Amino acid sequence: MEKEQLFQKISDNVVEMEDEIVEDLCRQALDEGFDAAETINCGLIPGMDRVGVLYEEGEYFLPEVLTASCALNAGLDILRPHIRKEETGSRIKIVIGVVEGDTHDIGKNLVKIMAESAGIEVIDLGRDVPLNDFIDTAEREHCDIICMSTLMTTTMPGMKQIIDQLKERDLRDKYKVMIGGGPVSQKFADEIGADAYTADAAAAVRKMKELKGRI
Amino acid sequence: MANVTISRGPDESSCRTVSCETGIVLMDVLTGAGVFTESPCGGRGICGKCKVRICPQGDPGSPGTELTEAERSLLKPEEIASGIRLACMTRITGDCLVELPETGKEQRILTDGYLPEFIRDHREGYGIAADIGTTTIAMSLIDLASGKELSTASAVNAQKQYGLDVLSRISFETEHGDNAVHILQKVLVDSCSSLIREVCGSAGVAPDCLKEIVIAANCCMTHMLLGRNATGLGKAPYTPVFTEAQSLPAREIGLKAGPDTVLYCLPQVSAYIGGDIVAGAAVCRLNARTGNVLFIDVGTNGEIVLARNGRLLCCSCAAGPALEGMNISCGMRASEGAVEDVRIGTQAELTTIGGTPPAGLCGSGILAAVRELLKGGYIKKSGAFVALSDQPEPALLRVCGTRREAVLNRSPELVVTQDDVRQVQLAKGAILSGFRVLLREAGIAMEDLDQVIVAGQFGAHLPAESLTGTGILPEELKDRIVYAGNTSRSGACMALLSLEERRNMEALAKEMDYTDLARTADYERIFAGSMKFPAGV
Repeated sequence: MEKEQLFQKISDNVVEMEDEIVEDLCRQALDEGFDAAETINCGLIPGMDRVGVLYEEGEYFLPEVLTASCALNAGLDILRPHIRKEETGSRIKIVIGVVEGDTHDIGKNLVKIMAESAGIEVIDLGRDVPLNDFIDTAEREHCDIICMSTLMTTTMPGMKQIIDQLKERDLRDKYKVMIGGGPVSQKFADEIGADAYTADAAAAVRKMKELKGRI
Repeated sequence: MANVTISRGPDESSCRTVSCETGIVLMDVLTGAGVFTESPCGGRGICGKCKVRICPQGDPGSPGTELTEAERSLLKPEEIASGIRLACMTRITGDCLVELPETGKEQRILTDGYLPEFIRDHREGYGIAADIGTTTIAMSLIDLASGKELSTASAVNAQKQYGLDVLSRISFETEHGDNAVHILQKVLVDSCSSLIREVCGSAGVAPDCLKEIVIAANCCMTHMLLGRNATGLGKAPYTPVFTEAQSLPAREIGLKAGPDTVLYCLPQVSAYIGGDIVAGAAVCRLNARTGNVLFIDVGTNGEIVLARNGRLLCCSCAAGPALEGMNISCGMRASEGAVEDVRIGTQAELTTIGGTPPAGLCGSGILAAVRELLKGGYIKKSGAFVALSDQPEPALLRVCGTRREAVLNRSPELVVTQDDVRQVQLAKGAILSGFRVLLREAGIAMEDLDQVIVAGQFGAHLPAESLTGTGILPEELKDRIVYAGNTSRSGACMALLSLEERRNMEALAKEMDYTDLARTADYERIFAGSMKFPAGV
């Protein structure tokens, strides 16, 4: 099969959430001698991008994004071991987690999936994350953006505490801070001095790219 | 045959006349005419909520059958004198005019719940059984000797001003410390004192001769009533200050009752399964049933109890506010003008609370709308609206920006947006995934359920077809669904009247195994899978 044709099929099957077909096609790509990194960037990633668009249009929702990401990961598992050269060029690097005291992480996981498939490097701290871990990890891993999520109003104050901590440690200007989650709002983001608030995962990924452009 | 003219209010033009066979129950006539009547007890003559006024037309003489026993006990003499009857108890005997009730602001506070047989203690005097919900408080004054309910009253929980939901009120405590705990307690106690005064006043009983007040409430409300700090409930690992039943003099918290009145609060299971659910489990005898029974209290939260041959598992789903009409574009609380049922025939037909012109969709309404849109082929299984070119007749879908929406009413414009459907999916996903996790833990399948009990405020107004039509419960279970009403209140009543039942509830609370869904393995996958709709394209 022609390279472009194969990449198109891979992309289509990510959108169709067909993990087994994606796996087979990725193996085929390797057998045909196509470059693994190129297969990822021209086959898998465009597929996931289209999933993001469908999500924004309301056609796809959480279940479809999760299933499509399974197809994406199935392909990545096949191709990643065969990437020949190191990824050069600045990738956006973010640290993300659900703030201390909260254990609801489905929304955060959705952001992680969409960010990773957009080529962003994600360090996921999980849930009920001690507040200091966000900053310590960002420092250690040289992240660009600190992303915080919560589903409960009772744990929202933790987001302000992290921003205050950044100021106290004279690190506020070093990182961009993004927040999200059910009870979170632009108003709250403005009150606590966060750089951005987004209402859903697709908007979050767009915002990350936008913020990085400003860094 | 008889002609029944149904009037929605003083406006003559809003009358409709339908004809029916004589002998038909009035409630059936009204339902057949598309008129929704309040019926928390399902037309069994228990709750007294289906009051209508009947006036003879044409031939003199009563247009309804003789007054029944149930009506005599549920209606006031002056009501009976002015022609008020219960629609579920009255059969049509001749032409008549039926006037539907003027509806007040708060429509749907439920005070009645299922009560099983039990042995009452020998006791004299008066007591109160109370259900303190996050949104509403319902109380009954009980004659302890006879076990009879002398009066009921309900009111909005005044803590609402500090937040509509439990978490918001806990946030208030987190932000303002001890002072906030005190304020929240005082506001709640005052709400209760007023309601005590009202419910006693209706029966001509003085509050200071109350022997006991029994409270069934969720964990947060119980903490706040007793002035205990609830902040632990608002963050992982969600630890209550106490879970055992509490017994103390009512005056200790400033409740306006007698100097010797005892306050007893039912025990909790965990931060998110409270005394109100223990009450429900006890009233439905879940630990004594053979077979498999699923109990769900659909109120401000969604608590589920699964009984498998007496072993009880429970969990709490963050079903979200969609089921209360919130986060819905045209959503509103269940009060006058709220659409609560939808049928799609040649056009979208809406039924509203109070019969007044539609102003928005309440929880029942949005579920009914989604049910109908699925049935009609407007929404796919995935929850996305079909393309406009693929939509059936009548053409309800239109494009708004990059998204599609369904127009249910032109003026005022009421729509169901794609986001609204997604909100319903999230709520449905939360509840169904809760069911699935418990079923898996018990090692049984949905089909193995012998009965599904729907309790609570919202549940009472949720027809089985909305539950199955949206896939919250599978179609096969439709005939196994029963409604139990306000089991929190009836459980409180049972605890008031029987010390043995009270001890049983204390033991029951310790036997109920709580599952934290957020910490359940592969919950995300189960949740995502539970969002798919059953019917539709």
